[in-house]
Amino acid sequence: MWSVLVSGLATGALFAATALVYNVMFSTSKVLSITTGHIAMLGGVFGAWFITALGLPWIVGLVGALVVGAAFGWLTDVLAIRRVLARSDEHLWLLSTLALATMVQQAVGLWWGTEPKPFPRLIPQDFGAGITDQKFWLPIVVAVAMALGLELFYRRTMYGKLFLAMSEDAFAARARGVPTDRIRAVSYVIAGALGALAGFAAGQLTFAYFALGLTLTLNGFIALAVGGLGSNVGALIGGAALGLLNAFSSYFVGGEFQQTISVGLLMLVLLLKPEGLLGSKNTRPV
Amino acid sequence: MKKKSAALLVVGLLAATLPFWAADQYQLHLAALIAAFWILIGGLNLVVGYTGQLSIGHVGLLAVGAYTFAILAGPEEVHPALAVLASGGLCGLFGLLLGLPSLRLPGFYFAMATMAVALIVGEFIMANGDLTGGGIGLAVPSFPAPFDSPAGFYYLVLGLAALVTWCTWNVARRMWGRGLIAIRDNPVTAQAVGVPVFRAKLKVFVFSGITAGVAGAVFASLQSYITPDTFVFELSLFFFVCIIIGGRGSIVGPLIGTMILTALPELVAPLAKLGNFFYGLLLLVVVLLVPEGIGRVFEVIAERLRPRRIESIPVRPDLDRLTRALQRPR
Repeated sequence: MWSVLVSGLATGALFAATALVYNVMFSTSKVLSITTGHIAMLGGVFGAWFITALGLPWIVGLVGALVVGAAFGWLTDVLAIRRVLARSDEHLWLLSTLALATMVQQAVGLWWGTEPKPFPRLIPQDFGAGITDQKFWLPIVVAVAMALGLELFYRRTMYGKLFLAMSEDAFAARARGVPTDRIRAVSYVIAGALGALAGFAAGQLTFAYFALGLTLTLNGFIALAVGGLGSNVGALIGGAALGLLNAFSSYFVGGEFQQTISVGLLMLVLLLKPEGLLGSKNTRPV
Repeated sequence: MKKKSAALLVVGLLAATLPFWAADQYQLHLAALIAAFWILIGGLNLVVGYTGQLSIGHVGLLAVGAYTFAILAGPEEVHPALAVLASGGLCGLFGLLLGLPSLRLPGFYFAMATMAVALIVGEFIMANGDLTGGGIGLAVPSFPAPFDSPAGFYYLVLGLAALVTWCTWNVARRMWGRGLIAIRDNPVTAQAVGVPVFRAKLKVFVFSGITAGVAGAVFASLQSYITPDTFVFELSLFFFVCIIIGGRGSIVGPLIGTMILTALPELVAPLAKLGNFFYGLLLLVVVLLVPEGIGRVFEVIAERLRPRRIESIPVRPDLDRLTRALQRPR
């Protein structure tokens, strides 16, 4: 039973970390990017490649994965967001990020192969460690650290405050002299690095697998919508709830209906409390 | 207008006589595949192109239709015609059940809900192995005579595709279509002028579900063997690219898009290897450069070659009258 709890929390932490990445990008651009899950996938795949195939020490592999993730985040902004936001058609970013996500997934599939490959052990530890295994607590620690770090970043640094200003009202921020385009690019780079970190930390749990991105995009979004869009604490709670629900339902019911149950949770929350547990209420579109 | 109907007639004649001039069976198969895809895309076009609801999970509905047909017409030995009707009906019901909660959601939430449905359907197929064959798949029976030959089957699919096109055309050109476009461009305004936003969206979505089910049935029969891998999520992307590249708010555009995009990877071998990467790239390029669709490119080129003459109507001030008006005693 404890192992179900811990593995549920670990998957939930990965979902929560994905939801945090959504939040970072959403704060400055009001865009929910479909590439979010793919960033984490890149972190896992490139981490495994750097460490296993190139034989680098894990700390170098981590830095490499972060750089790849940050570069991809920046690329997302340049290719899929910048021009589309200038056009102010609200649906187009969905299409452009979907296109980019597919391209990345297919490219990784062609290069890395379509089979999940094992992620190397980061810290020397026995494989029989049970619930104290690093594959469980690494993602949990990283997700909590990410949420704390983001909270500090938003409250204590100038850039963080600029993010908040842009999430409140991008036009007003621009009028006050905030270079909104540059801040958005910075937020995408940060989101890319954080997503890669999450994928790297959870690599031993998920394996380095090219099709992970889409599942993570969906589940991270469910965690986000359950917790409330824009809330970091909500993302942690939503992720943990979703992970636990997944783990216990596959323990009691069987593993075949994981997606169905996750989406059921999403629908339930959206019906009862459309803004999520800790989200701010939507105003009417008029 | 005359040119358009003449072109339509020529294309119709070419399509109707295809079995007589096609070089081999494979081309006929390809044409039937295009028609089968068009049955789905024609319905989806009303949802995506006209109403602006980005459903990225229609491959799930296609799979439901395909498996319904395969199970009913295969082991259950129902007559294939009835099985097609059952596929359409079941998918319409499925669309209704999916649309009732999810069409109330804003854009991204709706897209995610439909994507989730595509994944759920795949999961369900894998989980119920004794019904659907699981990962091994199912053999799909072909239609009885006179539709058992490639040419006969081609005519059947072509007829269904023409029917769907006629339906969508009827919807699109009347008040309904205008209402749908209004919902796409500005739902608040549409509601303000009396378009029943939710009901219109739901009806169109259910229609697209029915066409997806019928498309699934003929698609499965055309493939003659289906596995869960037939219905990968990227197929949804393909449907999407066909519509976006053809231009939103048009029927001919997506139709041409479907023809070209289905035939292209089959005719150009290197593209088939890249497959979905190519579709992703195409979608990105179209969204970034010409979000109105490829047709817009031709319009721009035509305008360059033959600039439209803009008649200028000079307005001459009637100074006399102005003076009189100003001098009128108060």
